[in-house]
Amino acid sequence: MSTERGSREEGPEAEGTGDVLELPAASRTTAIALDELELVYAFIYARVGNRPDAEDLTQQVAMKAIPRLRQGAPASAIRGYLFATARSVLGAFWSTRLGLSEAELHEDLAMAIPAGPPSEEPAERARRILDGLSDNYRRVLELRFLHGYSLKEVAAEMRSTVGAVKVMQLRALRAAAKVRLDG
Amino acid sequence: MGERPENRVDRIVNDLLRGRRLRLRGGDAEEKEAITAAARLIAAGQGSQRMHPAFRKRLAEALESAPKGGWLTRRAAMVAGFGVAAGAVTGGLIARALEPAAPATPNPGGRQVNPIPGRWVDVGALADFAEGQGKRVTAGAVGAYLFRRGSTVSAVSAMCSHLPCELNWNGGNGVLDCPCHPASFTPDGAPTNLAYPLPHLDLVSVRVTDAGRVEVLGT
Repeated sequence: MSTERGSREEGPEAEGTGDVLELPAASRTTAIALDELELVYAFIYARVGNRPDAEDLTQQVAMKAIPRLRQGAPASAIRGYLFATARSVLGAFWSTRLGLSEAELHEDLAMAIPAGPPSEEPAERARRILDGLSDNYRRVLELRFLHGYSLKEVAAEMRSTVGAVKVMQLRALRAAAKVRLDG
Repeated sequence: MGERPENRVDRIVNDLLRGRRLRLRGGDAEEKEAITAAARLIAAGQGSQRMHPAFRKRLAEALESAPKGGWLTRRAAMVAGFGVAAGAVTGGLIARALEPAAPATPNPGGRQVNPIPGRWVDVGALADFAEGQGKRVTAGAVGAYLFRRGSTVSAVSAMCSHLPCELNWNGGNGVLDCPCHPASFTPDGAPTNLAYPLPHLDLVSVRVTDAGRVEVLGT
């Protein structure tokens, strides 16, 4: 099976892949914050689907949260604040990238962003999306998104044409958008 | 002719499958449901994601070195390694801000666009330009926003000085917004976020003829 993921774009810190985390005399507050920010990162990544954007947005959340973190709030309070901030940052992100007001995005965001960290594994989430689709739609998304097939490979697998697969991919994604993941 | 929806979405899917940023263009919002679904599905297919060790380390250092007490100032945020104003911007700005040796001040003034060979292109009557409102014009290969102030007109390039995207006039805020990242510019072409200096927009030559026509130096 071929994959299109081998040419992954290098993120802002492609260097130091094997870095061992060495905190500069990290305080306990920082350690807690980093653990919480891991959840925020996963939360954001699950919605933007790429590392560079996920890192940028996580940094923004961390920046906004620094004063709260300094107040020595309990982890539960920190988490609530971080996720509220993450929702806000994600809203601004999609609004800016799509050129829409946040009001126009409101409905989509309400569906896309839960009140806390996800309670299920990403693979389970993907399965829930796909299970909500017709056979053809599920197949094209499985091959393209989960197995990394090119359009040409999907077309060969499904005995169709590239053009038809491209249209089917669009329709399948529109249908997938209607599948509720959260809640 | 506009990009077909299936091509539009496949372009974005391809970027995401290669681990690239979401790079959206004007009109992509029409497929916002499909685009957000693609991002979520790709993320789901990649399994649980954790921060890259280098990124986590940088976050830790920034958290540790941030000034004690109160909200971060923009300058302090840059010193701390985040590089942008707290809550001021989104997206790729931060990544760029982390690059070393960012200039302390925005570049004063932009480069003058001097097409060779250039020619003066009529873009309308002065009366057609509303006072203080940006108007997008094209003079051959040169795209510009024109601003009328009384009997004079100024012009800046319609291209963002940071990313290769066409700017949009935001009449409500009186600025030119970049659709590709959270950056905006005044009608004079100056970046509005002084904490993270972007280059000034390029300047386009414009004149008003005796007949009251506005002409832009284009191609």
